[in-house]
Parts: sequence; structure tokens; C-alpha cells
Amino acid sequence: MQSKSADLTFLRRTNAELIAILAVCAIFFVVPVLLNNDYLLNKVARYLVLGILAMSLSLSWGYAGILNLGQAMSFGLGSYAMAMTLKLKTVPVHTGPQGLPDFMVWNNVTQLPWFWWPFESQAFAILAGIAIPAAVAAALGWFMFRGRVTGVYVAIITLAAMVVLNLVIIDQQQYTGGFNGITDLAQLELFGIAFDAYGRSTYYLVTICMTVALLVAYAFTRTKAGLIIQAIRDHESRVRYFGYDVGAYQIAAFALSAAIAGLAGMIYTIVMEFASPTFLGVQLSLSVVVWCAVGGRQSLLGALLGAILVAGVQGALSESATFLETWTLVMGGLFVLIVLFLPKGLAGLVASLWALIRQRPLRSVRGVHRIEQTETGA
Amino acid sequence: MDQLIQQFLTGLSIGSILLLVAMGLSIIYGAMGIINLAHGEFVMLGAYAAWFLQVQFGMGLLISLVPIFLLVAAFGWLIERFVLSFLNNRPLDTILATWGVGIMLQQAVRLTAGGELRYVKMPEALSNSTAILGVQISLYRVFLLVASLVLFAATWLLMNRTTVGMKLRAIIQDRPVAASFGVNARRIYGLTFAYGAGLAGLAGALVSPLKSVSPEMGTGYVIDAFMVVVLGGVQSLIGTVASAFILGELSGVIAFLQNDTVAKAIVLLAIVVLIRFRPQGMFATRVRA
Repeated sequence: MQSKSADLTFLRRTNAELIAILAVCAIFFVVPVLLNNDYLLNKVARYLVLGILAMSLSLSWGYAGILNLGQAMSFGLGSYAMAMTLKLKTVPVHTGPQGLPDFMVWNNVTQLPWFWWPFESQAFAILAGIAIPAAVAAALGWFMFRGRVTGVYVAIITLAAMVVLNLVIIDQQQYTGGFNGITDLAQLELFGIAFDAYGRSTYYLVTICMTVALLVAYAFTRTKAGLIIQAIRDHESRVRYFGYDVGAYQIAAFALSAAIAGLAGMIYTIVMEFASPTFLGVQLSLSVVVWCAVGGRQSLLGALLGAILVAGVQGALSESATFLETWTLVMGGLFVLIVLFLPKGLAGLVASLWALIRQRPLRSVRGVHRIEQTETGA
Repeated sequence: MDQLIQQFLTGLSIGSILLLVAMGLSIIYGAMGIINLAHGEFVMLGAYAAWFLQVQFGMGLLISLVPIFLLVAAFGWLIERFVLSFLNNRPLDTILATWGVGIMLQQAVRLTAGGELRYVKMPEALSNSTAILGVQISLYRVFLLVASLVLFAATWLLMNRTTVGMKLRAIIQDRPVAASFGVNARRIYGLTFAYGAGLAGLAGALVSPLKSVSPEMGTGYVIDAFMVVVLGGVQSLIGTVASAFILGELSGVIAFLQNDTVAKAIVLLAIVVLIRFRPQGMFATRVRA
């Protein structure tokens, strides 16, 4: 009897989640019809991209239990891949067509460095923006998960990797644009459509990417691999005793999450019209974790909406500089409180309220996604 | 030959700073299983306290070390008491909570003391340099090396030769059993965290004359300190010392050949590779979880 009722909860939840995802995507497709303001539309597009980034973290943190404090590293790699190809398409003022990017000229570089060559091809760049973060994550994951490193060590190593890459990018100014990043980019053109950052085409590109990313991530969580990943999160050694290759599943989830973050990074470059080392900075990475925690780490949609909500509020209030400074303080405090008292975030709160409305015992909701009780088990 | 000795001394100096910063982190992680991401901010608080005491009250750096230790330790105790003790069985969440605390501390300092760089004066008596084996080295760096070793010795004695240390080791081995023998685990945890935080504050005050003081200074230190702890293995004070000096020498050599950033990148890569084959670190016997 118990298993039957559990199955029903499971089914109901499946449909509800999918419907919610589709509904949210539909709403954002309609926004341009109601919002006739290119500047605001660009802002919304930006928040959606950040939402995709938060969602990618939810996949690795909430579902796989891999707390990646360096999620912005994948984001930044994607962003730079797109910026590099768009930079090569711009006509430099000083060196004319086919010339070197301006910042290289300023730094006395005489020929294009080898790792820039393939980015002459836009198709390669788009592929690389997803494949490079995934490959980097897979390599890092191979070392970590094959060494059976878990928990806090993963968090530290991912954070350290991001900080070091950030330092390297700033340090290698002549090849990467250094502290200023890569600016003054051409517009992306795909299938004859030019993507102007303040145009509708870009907004729709972002929404399409968001929908695809959400559905891919959702589909992954519904597959058998997705279920095993969640089992590993809850009790790693038990899954290992069943004969599953725990490391392989963790590497796969980690790489998929990085690939989605890379995609988000690429479209972020299009929306922002530049790439900067701050895109893989500690500040952004922390924000991603905060958004995820606020929205609900174990809910793809929750994380996405959490990012849009928090980043949106911050954007709306950021007119005054003093407020922005206090905001960081407030966000830090809010984050600590949520970690302490609301570990499932707003999505968990909504689920509990929903259960209350339906007059079902809270217990069944808790049973479906539990994390913190078992985390110390290993 | 002179260059070789010079290089070796530079490495020792980097290593002593690493040891100062990493010791508190290592103790807190080893004893409580908490990765304290606010550790860098404790270092930063120590440096700012040194600056503040010097500018406002004209206190020399050496005299202000005691109040700085007590101040930052008190801060650590408060955070343990009012934030971390709620997260007893959620190790991953302690990372997040301490990260949030760190961000708040950083921002609070930026709002009150300003975001610009601050400078702390070196003690007069230590501002000259001396010759060791025919190589000139700043007296202050020698002092740092001695200070880090003295602090290490004090910590070792505290852990292994005092009642508090014994109780702490009992809790690490088996908390319920220790509790049934009347050890107050919560109190010991609070004291341990406070001690680790105090050490971080001391580290910040001690390095402040060598580097500029800014609200963001903690991030770099915390990453370096983690590398030391990862390499040395947890729950091994000796491992922390050895790995601090290994990393110091390594960074010194690579930085000499290339630059600081390349040195950091190579050290990180080496540690990631090492983790694959020796996940427990170089000097520890227990496997980390």
C-alpha cells in the first residue's frame, strides 16, 4: 500500500513539474508582446541567462550532490569562446580587415596565437562554448571522483580552479584582454539572423536556449541515470555496493551541468556584448549559489526563478550605489538565514504549502526529496 | 650559490606565511569537519584591526597582537555559537553559511573602513635586513618564520599537553562517548573555533606590513590555505607544516622562473593530480569524507 501511494505522488509530481516548466517558458515567450521597451527586454534576457546558470548548478548541487562553488568557471569559458569568435569578426580600427584584435596590437603581439585560430569558425566556437566547459569539468571530475573525493573537498577544488583560471586570464593580458576582458564585439549572425543585444531576436534566442536547457536537464533527471545520480547524493556507498560505477555517473552529471553553464555563458556574451574576467569571478559564483539556495536547490525551476527573482530585485534597486553596497550585506545575511532555516529554498516552501492546501500530510512531501538527513551518513 | 640560498630563503618566507594562515583553518577542519570559508575574512579582520589600532591609538604592531587575537577569537566564537552550532549534521551547509558570513564581513568592512588600500607600518626594530649565509634578508621575514614556528609549537602543546586539547581529541575520536564522560562538546567546539579564528587574525596582523590591506585580501589567502590543508591532509598538524613549506618552496621557485600566477596554476594542477592518487593527502592516515 505504501509503495502504491508513493508511486502516485511520484507521478503527480512528474506532471506538475513538467507543466510548471512549460508554463514558465510560455510566459517568458509572451513577455516581448507586453513589454515594448528594448532596454528592459535586454535586462529580462540577462536575468533569464543567469537563471539558466542557476539551473545548471541545481542539476549538479541539488540532484547530484556535487556542490560546485566554481560554477561560474564553466559560464566564463562559454562566454570567452563566444567573445573570441565575435572579436575575430570585428574589423579592428588599427590593423584593418583580417588584422589582429586591438588589445593584442596594444600588447605588441605580432601574430594570432594558436588557440585563437579555430575561433575564426563560428560553428567551432559555438561547439567549443559547450564542449570546452564540459571537457574541463569531466577532466576535473575524473581526478576528483575517481579519487573518491566528495563533499567539502569538491567545493574547495572547484572554487580554487575557478580563482586560478580567473588569475591566469587577467595575467595573460596579451592573449585574453586581461582585466578589461574582450570588448567591442561583432554581432552574432546565425541562419541570416543578426542578434542585436537590444533586439527581439536575441530575447527569443535566450528564451529558446532556456527552454531547451530546462527540458534537457529535466529529461536527464527523469532517466535512470538521473535517478541513480539522486541515489548517489543520498547514499553514495549503498549505490556503490549495488555495483554501479558511482564515479562515472558523477562525472556525467558534473559535465552536463558545466555544458549548460557554458551555453548560458555564450548567450550572456551576446546579451552583454562583452566578456570579462568577472564572469568567472568569486562574486558571480557566490551569487549563483545564493540564487540556487533561495529558489530551491533541488528544483530546476526553483533555481531558475530564484535567480530571476534575486537578480531582478537587485537590478531594480541598483540605481543608487549606496544601496548596492548594502545589498551585498543583505544578501549575505539572507543567504545565511536560508541555509539555516530553509534549506530547500522557496521551492520547498511552495511544495509544503501546496501539500497543506491539499490537506495531505507534510511527511509525503518531505519523503520525496530529502537531502540533509542522510548527507552525513557516509 | 648565493642565488640558490636567496631562493631557498624566499621559499621559507612564503611557507611561513602559508603556515600562519593555514594553521587555524586546519585545526577547525580537523577538529570540527567545518570548512570555514570565512577564514580569509578573519585574516582580513586581523589586518584591519592592526591598521586601526595603529592609526587610532598609535599602537605598535607587536603590542597589538594580543588584543587582535582576542578580538578575532571572540568574533569566531560568536559565529560558532549563533550560526554554525545550528548546522551540526550538515557539513556541506557549513561551507555555505561561512561563505555568507565571509561576504557580510567583507562588505561590512568595506562600508565602515572604506574600499581603498591600507598600509600597516613595520615595527622599527625589525625594519632592517640582516645577512644569513651571505645573503641579505629582511629581519621582519625572519621574525615571521620564527613567529609561525612558535605559534605552531604552542598549538601542538595546546592540542597534546592540555586538558582542553585532550577533550577535543576525545570528541574527534568519538563524540557520544566523550560526552558520556562529561565532556561538554559544544563548549569545546566553540573554543576550538575561536582559537582557529584568533590564529587567522594573528596571521592577518602579522602579514599586514608586507602586503597592502584591503577588504578583498582574504579570498587569496583562503585559497592558498586550502591548498596547504589539502596537500597536508586533515587532522595532521605536522602535515600542515610540511606542506606549507613544500608549497612555499615550490611557489618560490616557479614564481622565480615564471610569475606568481603561473606558480599558483601549476601548484593547483599538481594538487588536483595528487588527489586522484592520494586522496588522503600526503601526511594523513585517515581518509577524508
